[in-house]
Amino acid sequence: MAKLCMGLFSGSLDKLTAAGVIMSGAAADDMDVEVFVLLQGARAFIKGNENKIDNLAEASHLKGEFTQALKDLNVSTWYEFFEMAKEMTNVKIYICSLAGKIWGGEKLEDFNGLVDDLCGIGEYLTAAEEADIHMFI
Amino acid sequence: MSQEELQNLVVDKSVDARGTACPGPLLEAKKSIGTIASGEIMEVLSADEGTKRDIPKWANKKGHEYLGTVEDSGYFKIYLKKG
Repeated sequence: MAKLCMGLFSGSLDKLTAAGVIMSGAAADDMDVEVFVLLQGARAFIKGNENKIDNLAEASHLKGEFTQALKDLNVSTWYEFFEMAKEMTNVKIYICSLAGKIWGGEKLEDFNGLVDDLCGIGEYLTAAEEADIHMFI
Repeated sequence: MSQEELQNLVVDKSVDARGTACPGPLLEAKKSIGTIASGEIMEVLSADEGTKRDIPKWANKKGHEYLGTVEDSGYFKIYLKKG
């Protein structure tokens, strides 16, 4: 089975949504998915933060247009995409332990239900080396 | 299959994904194909242009047979036979 490895550096609404769409496509294809959440990304996974993410990484002046369009098009939230992908295929989400600490997350219970474990950078690189597809968002 | 043959197909499962944008129809197709038996036919209704190319490619990769697409007003119907 093909394996997708994703380095999720960004914790912004636009890039989280992109990650969610890509991940659910991988789920439809029965791929195994491993996501390594780095630096800024970890903020979105702190328990209670999932609905607080409203900044864009790119073209921040278009935020209103972007969020309204997602709503009009009935697009799932980034969190829903991640949940759907986890229901459909083998998706593991790991938080880089340094990234967690930056946003006040020391232990697994500090993070939301999507997160499987905390990890170190070595594991991310090994996963990227072994994956069929690697992307950095 | 010809357009006429497609239109006369008796489908075992119909999935209406017209209310969703990409990747909604693909996800609906993936979920629903698990509920039918091998050899049965499913139609997916979609109004998302990307889906027209996406679902046939996905189906072929997953071992299902893509039978064809019928255009209707404002949406289209994609026919698949489960492998």
